[in-house]
Amino acid sequence: MTFQDIFATLDRFWAGQGCLLTEPWEIEVGAGTMAPDTFLRSLGPEPWNVAYVQPCRRPADSRYGENPNRLGRYFQYQVIMKPSPRDFQDRAIASVEALGIDPLQHDIRFVEDDWESPTLGASGVGWEMWLDGMEICQYTYFQQVGGLQCRPVAVELTYGPERLAMYLQGVEDYRHLQWSDTITYGELRFEEERQYSHYNLELADVGMLSKMFEMCEAEARRVTAAGFPLPAYDYVLKCSHLFNLMDARGAISVSERTGMIERVRNLAAAVARAWVARREELGFPLLAEEHPEGTA
Amino acid sequence: MADSTADLLFEIGVEEIPAPAVLPALGQLERMLVKALDEARLAHGEARTCGTPRRLAIIIRDVVLRQPDVEQEVKGPPAAAAFDADGNPTRAAEGFAAGRGLSVDALEVRATDRGDYVFATVAEPGRAAVEVLPEILRDAATSLTFPKTMRWGSSDFRFARPIRWIVALLGGDVVPVEIAGLHSDRLTWGHRFLSEGPVTLADPSQYLDALEAAYVIADHKRRREMIATGARAAAEQAGGRVRLDADLLDEVNFMVEYPTALVGHFDSRYLELPDDVIVTVMSGHQRYFAVENPDGTLQPLFVAIRNGDEQGLDLVRQGNERVIEPRLADAEFYLTEDMRTPLHDRVEDLKRVTYIEGMGSLYDKTQRLEGLVHWLCGRVAQVEQRHEDNAARAATLSKCDLTTTMIGDTKLAKLQGRVGAEYARRSGEPEEVALAIAEQYRPLAAADHPPTTTPGRLIALADKMDHLAACFRLGMRPTGSADPHALRRSAAGIVRIILDARWRIDMPAFIRAALDALPEVGDEDAIEPDQAAAQLEEFLAARLQAELETYAVGYDLARAVLAAPCPDLLDAFDRALALRAIRGSDADFEAVVIAAERTANIVRGPKAEEKLALDAEALTEPEEKALHEAYTAAAARLERALADDAVRDYQAAWQALAELRDPIDAFFDAVLVMAEDDAVRRNRLALVAAVDDLFLRLLDVQQIVIEGEAD
Repeated sequence: MTFQDIFATLDRFWAGQGCLLTEPWEIEVGAGTMAPDTFLRSLGPEPWNVAYVQPCRRPADSRYGENPNRLGRYFQYQVIMKPSPRDFQDRAIASVEALGIDPLQHDIRFVEDDWESPTLGASGVGWEMWLDGMEICQYTYFQQVGGLQCRPVAVELTYGPERLAMYLQGVEDYRHLQWSDTITYGELRFEEERQYSHYNLELADVGMLSKMFEMCEAEARRVTAAGFPLPAYDYVLKCSHLFNLMDARGAISVSERTGMIERVRNLAAAVARAWVARREELGFPLLAEEHPEGTA
Repeated sequence: MADSTADLLFEIGVEEIPAPAVLPALGQLERMLVKALDEARLAHGEARTCGTPRRLAIIIRDVVLRQPDVEQEVKGPPAAAAFDADGNPTRAAEGFAAGRGLSVDALEVRATDRGDYVFATVAEPGRAAVEVLPEILRDAATSLTFPKTMRWGSSDFRFARPIRWIVALLGGDVVPVEIAGLHSDRLTWGHRFLSEGPVTLADPSQYLDALEAAYVIADHKRRREMIATGARAAAEQAGGRVRLDADLLDEVNFMVEYPTALVGHFDSRYLELPDDVIVTVMSGHQRYFAVENPDGTLQPLFVAIRNGDEQGLDLVRQGNERVIEPRLADAEFYLTEDMRTPLHDRVEDLKRVTYIEGMGSLYDKTQRLEGLVHWLCGRVAQVEQRHEDNAARAATLSKCDLTTTMIGDTKLAKLQGRVGAEYARRSGEPEEVALAIAEQYRPLAAADHPPTTTPGRLIALADKMDHLAACFRLGMRPTGSADPHALRRSAAGIVRIILDARWRIDMPAFIRAALDALPEVGDEDAIEPDQAAAQLEEFLAARLQAELETYAVGYDLARAVLAAPCPDLLDAFDRALALRAIRGSDADFEAVVIAAERTANIVRGPKAEEKLALDAEALTEPEEKALHEAYTAAAARLERALADDAVRDYQAAWQALAELRDPIDAFFDAVLVMAEDDAVRRNRLALVAAVDDLFLRLLDVQQIVIEGEAD
């Protein structure tokens, strides 16, 4: 199964479960959870079932493309269902079966791993999904997002498609993954990893990043106050990415770190509140389609 | 009467509960249900719990199907309100009787503490267990507490993990229970993959067998045994011996429902890594057991426990082997990076790492540890010079591993000390220094052994005392159950090291030395050194008292021993054990204590006067002369008994004190201590005080609780 087959298979599977298929958010994010389709849509009472691929950037994980298992930019396949259906765990397993993994021939397990994002003021309770000892998915019931309690609770399933593909294709290095039948992951992305690693780890202008952080923070605050949480959230995401870049450059001290995370969290919380208020103003338009747990 | 009772089964099916939470939850479930059944007058047989990652279950044998009928007394209005002056019932009495379904004639008047009241005797017929149980089961399930709970779906109900099914059976009948929107039934679920569809239970007796047929070993004790046996056999077959770490075994046990052991290999070049690192990488990340040779060295093998049967076992093995490889490669990378800088070249780096805000850098701390090691060696007899040198060297290097990339990995951080030791060896330090570095944090927990080498003991004592002194000085004394700096563990560690090493250390002086070594403190929450010292003495005494309780020394005796002024923890410990033995075997113990209490009661208390000088010549009465003579003799015997620091004979010391019992009693029976003549009174008080002081060499008799005496 090629790398692109994984996405196509998961798309087909989750569409069959009643999920919308949406496209990635186009601003740099560190995880699929940060895209508005998860961060904002998991808030409030409206039902929401979605699946999408999200490219993620983690500058600190840059390795010039040379580490077989670590990348500064990689992908997540993200599924959100709200309210969490009663049989979600079975669906998660069925999705892995759809990828050609026979649970009877393997050891699939759910191992405690709760999740927390201090930057987003978000936390959840959940598991790593193990395939023969390897984490292939993160399975989380959101409890809090943007400082707000999740009612109803959204469940999130995040796949690591590179890892999954390496397992399915039996290769030890991401570069050797077949993206399609004719092109490898390495052919497609090694040069990108190399260039971005140089930038992320050596080249990025810390002074400029710091100024941009201040500017984006001010803009996020101003636009939130003006009542437009969606464009404001773009600037929250920019703050988060700028912070990650500065961190990868080793430009953030331990004491500064907590303070900056708190600043981003405050922005995210303000956006979250404004988003829910706006949806309420609109009469929570998606509520009509509400399904109780177990019937989605 | 076979049909008057039935077995009860209650099973809560969940998405995988965190392994450490299962056993505590089962314990709570059993306690709560047994208590609730007892309170509901539902007699029952033994209870047995079963737990897996996906179920919390309990089977209670022979629960009666019906509560016994009981008669209950119900208190009504006061008699004065229930009957008028002529003795006729009022409306209050009629109302009360009617409310209980009785006629007024059936009411009785009875005297109570608060006057005469009307009582009704109400017959309460027993209810069927199946009617009573739903509430009991529901209450128990919803009262379970977990370290962390969650919500799911659209409900506000909280539990450790989402509940997915409920089985509640009393014999062949379903007990209708609703929890979190789910209704109980007789359907349970087998293994997630090896069993298809629900398993129908006719009655509780089928539970274990039906689940086993569905590839679930619900009995966790049996499952644990299966894992242990399977792991041993698998390792043996591969030519090794499995290291069955008990904590890991418990964790793995609650991660699988149907265990099958398999052996995997890793590249033998990783055996270059320190053993501790390999074992921690395997157990911490992957929950694998290590495999060793007969001589205890590691083999390049691991035992994994798969949740399932033998199908595809080779695939599962290959998968697991692929996962452990990059993790060991990470550790290998750390080792290579770290070894570029020998351990002693990292000392300078410690200056850039803060220990505790306000208490200097880690470098400052190692300097203090060195000082305390020398201080201790000056006070503890028979520390050889080489031990002192090695301990001082270990102190210098003790914190260097905290700057390594290996300890920087959060999953490996708990190897602090042990990684330092390994790096010390590889950097050419003497083995004794390495061992001391490894032992500095021990004992790590109640089950861990204190350090066994002399340098290890010295540095472990110094490290803990410095930590306690720093925290107490900053006002970070633990309050309530919160103890974020693990100060109780540090203090307990000091006590256990001293008792294990049998070292006599002047604790107030040791505390003072540690406090004096700390940097100046400007913090406004800081505690003055004198006060911190007093708090710390008390804190250590409390740890010793806790330790004494594990040696079955009664609470009162422990307090009596600790109340007697003594700077030396070992002496207090030995005294407590000796007195415990004497109390257990000497029939006169209490009589002696009671006599001694007579002296204590007079000279202590609010009117106690300043230290009085005793003038033996001025004593006149035969009984006071006799007491003085006995005192002098006892004091001399006691001194002889305790003279040898190596073998203090508390038995003989107590015998010396016991000789005072008759003279004390005779003295108090014949002599009036509070004589009118001032000089006489003061002299007699001085005599009594001297006797009391002598007893205080062993214990404070006032703390002893004599049975039959009010506490």
